[in-house]
Amino acid sequence: MVMAITTKKPVIHLRDLQKRFGIGDAEIFALDGINLTIKKGEFVSIMGPSGCGKTTLLNIIGLLDRSFVGEYEINGKSVDSISERRQARIRSKQIGFVFQNFNLVQRLNVIENVALPLVYKGISHTKRLIIASDILKTFHLNEREYYMPYQLSGGQVQRVAIARALVNEPSIILADEPTGNLDSRASHIIMEELSELHKRGNTIIMVTHNPRLTTYSSRVITMLDGKIDADTKPEDVKQEPKIKHPKKVIKRKKSVYRQKRKKR
Amino acid sequence: MRLLFINHIQNARQSLQSSRTRSLLTMLGVTIGIASVTAILALSGGTNKIISEQIDSLGGNIIIVRPGTAKKMSPDITHSQLTSEYITSTLTEADVALLETTEHIQSVAPLMTMTGTIKADSTAPSDSQIVVTTPKLAEISDLKIRDGQFIEEGLDQNTVVVGTQLSINVFGTESSIGSTLTLRGQPFVVVGVLKRTNKPINYNSIDFDNAAIINFEAGKKLNSNIAQIQQINIRADSINNLDSAIADTNKTLKQSHDGENDFSVLVGDQISKPTSQLFFTIAGVMTAIATISLVVGGIGIMNIMLVTVAERTREIGIRKALGASSSDISWQFLIESLAISIVGGTFGYVAGYVVAFSISDLLTFDPVINWQIALIAFAISVVMGMIFGFYPAIRAARKDPIESLNRHN
Repeated sequence: MVMAITTKKPVIHLRDLQKRFGIGDAEIFALDGINLTIKKGEFVSIMGPSGCGKTTLLNIIGLLDRSFVGEYEINGKSVDSISERRQARIRSKQIGFVFQNFNLVQRLNVIENVALPLVYKGISHTKRLIIASDILKTFHLNEREYYMPYQLSGGQVQRVAIARALVNEPSIILADEPTGNLDSRASHIIMEELSELHKRGNTIIMVTHNPRLTTYSSRVITMLDGKIDADTKPEDVKQEPKIKHPKKVIKRKKSVYRQKRKKR
Repeated sequence: MRLLFINHIQNARQSLQSSRTRSLLTMLGVTIGIASVTAILALSGGTNKIISEQIDSLGGNIIIVRPGTAKKMSPDITHSQLTSEYITSTLTEADVALLETTEHIQSVAPLMTMTGTIKADSTAPSDSQIVVTTPKLAEISDLKIRDGQFIEEGLDQNTVVVGTQLSINVFGTESSIGSTLTLRGQPFVVVGVLKRTNKPINYNSIDFDNAAIINFEAGKKLNSNIAQIQQINIRADSINNLDSAIADTNKTLKQSHDGENDFSVLVGDQISKPTSQLFFTIAGVMTAIATISLVVGGIGIMNIMLVTVAERTREIGIRKALGASSSDISWQFLIESLAISIVGGTFGYVAGYVVAFSISDLLTFDPVINWQIALIAFAISVVMGMIFGFYPAIRAARKDPIESLNRHN
C-alpha cells in the first residue's frame, strides 16, 4: 500500500514555506520553514495545538492565501506563476473546502448552497440544481433541499457543506476541523463520508484536534510553532483515553442496581 | 461567461427581493431623477414637434433671421429675463430692404413685438402682444382672416388687425371691425379679425389669437421712432433654392453689418428650438432637480451597495473559496447596482410620462413619446449604476478571502 502511494505523483509540494504576520517587534512566524509533499490519493491529518499554523497551512494549500515566502507547487506547477484568475479556476475545479463553522450562505437554501460552486464553472441554473440534487441524495438530504441552513441540525449542515465541497468533483478536499462543532455520532457519519471519498481516490487534507479521527487517515502530520514536528502513521499517534458513551454508563448503573436488589 | 452573467442577474434579483423596502427606497432617488429628465424631454419634444409641424405645413421654405449669434440665444437662467430685453437689436430696416432685393427670396417680413396697454371697452390681459410688421407676414406665416382684411401698404397708418381672443377680450365680440381700440394710448381702428389659430406656441413666439397687428411705420411711432426688429421672416422662392437663399441671406447681412456676425440665420429644426425664456427657466429648474436627485440617488445606491458589501463579507469569502475570482465578485455587485438603477430608471420613465401628461392638461400641446427619450433614460440609468456601483464592487473584489471567512455576521 505504501509503495503504491510513493509511486504516485505529488499533488502538493511545499519547500521552505514561511508565513509571517505583523512587522518589526510584533512579527510572528505562523509557518516557519515547512517542507511537505502530499501525493495523489493520500488522506493526511494535520494535528497540533491551537495557533501552531494548521489553518494557515491549509489556507495556503487551498490558494486562499497568496502572501507567503517559499515554494509551493500544485500538480507540478509553481503557484507564483499562476495568475489570480487561474488560481480561482483551480479552486473551482480541483479543490473542495469543508470548513469547521460550515460557512453556508445563510440567505440561500440547501440546494442553492450546494450548487454555488457550479456557478463559477459556467453551468446553467437548471443543470446546477439537478447536479446538486443528485449529490444531496447521496448524503440522504434530498428531503431537505429547500430548507434554509438555520432549519437544519449541525450534522445536517456539515453534510450539506461536504456535499457542496464535492459537487465539483474536486481531486483535493481540504477540511478544516470538519467535525469540530459536532457530537460524536455526527462526527462519525462525517468521517465515514470522508473515508469513502478517500477510497474513491481523492486526496484529503484534514486539520483536526481530535487524535481519534486520525485513524481514518493514511498519514498524520503534527505541527508545533509553525514547524512540522512529526510525520507519522496513524497507528503511532497517541490516542486520548476513550470516554464512555453515556448510554453504556446508564446501562452499567442499571445492572449494578439490579444486582443490589437481587441480594436484598 | 454568458451563463455567469445570467447568474449575476438572478443573484441580483434574489438580493433585491430579499430586502424589498430598502431596494425601493434606494431606487426612489433614481426614479425622481429619471422622471424629471423624461418629463423635460417629453414636454420640450412636444413643443419642438408643434413648431416643426408648423414649418413643414408652411412648405419648409421658411428662413428666420434673429439678432445676435445662435450661441447667445442659449438658455441661461443666471441672467434675468430683462437683460436680454435691454440689448438693442442688431437687425435694421435697411437689412429688411436689402433682403427684399436678394436673389431666391420671395418675401420678407420684419417682426417687432411690443408690450403696452391694449384698451377698448375693457383692458386686454397683460399677455396680449402688439405685433409690428409688414403686410407680407400674412403670406409668410399663413395668417388667415376671419373678417375684414390684413394690414396693407396703402391703408391709414392707424389701423389694426386683431386676434379673435383679443377681440373678445376687449370688445366682448368676435365681430369688431370698425371699432376703435387704444394701443399705448393711441387710437387704432380695427380693419380685420384673424381666424383662430389655436397655436400659442410657434416659431414667431407670438400667440396670434391674442395679438394686435399694426403697420411697421405706426409701430415705430409708438416706439419713439425706433425700429427694434426682433425677427425677420423670409420665404424662399422654392424649397429647392433654400440653401442658396440661406447663403445669400448670410452674405447680404454680413455685408450690411460690416462683416460682423451679429445675427443668426435659422432654418428647419434650428427654428423649432423653443425660445421662450419661461420655458427655459422651467426646463432649467427641472434639469437642476433632475441633476440633484440623480446625484443623491446615485449616492444612495453607493451607500446601500457599501452596506450590502459589508453585510455579505462572509459570503464574498465563501464564494472566493468556492472558485469565484475577484472579477466575478466585482461583476456580481456591479450588476446588482445596475439592477437598482435600471429598475429605478424604468419606474422613473413611467412616472415622467405620468407627470408630463398631467402637466400637458394645462398646456396646449402633448408630450412627445419616442425611442430617443427611452434611450436617454436608459443610458442615464446605466451610467449611474456603473459610476456609483463601481467603488463598492471594487471594494468587494478586494476583500481578503481569509479575513472575510473569519468575519462573524
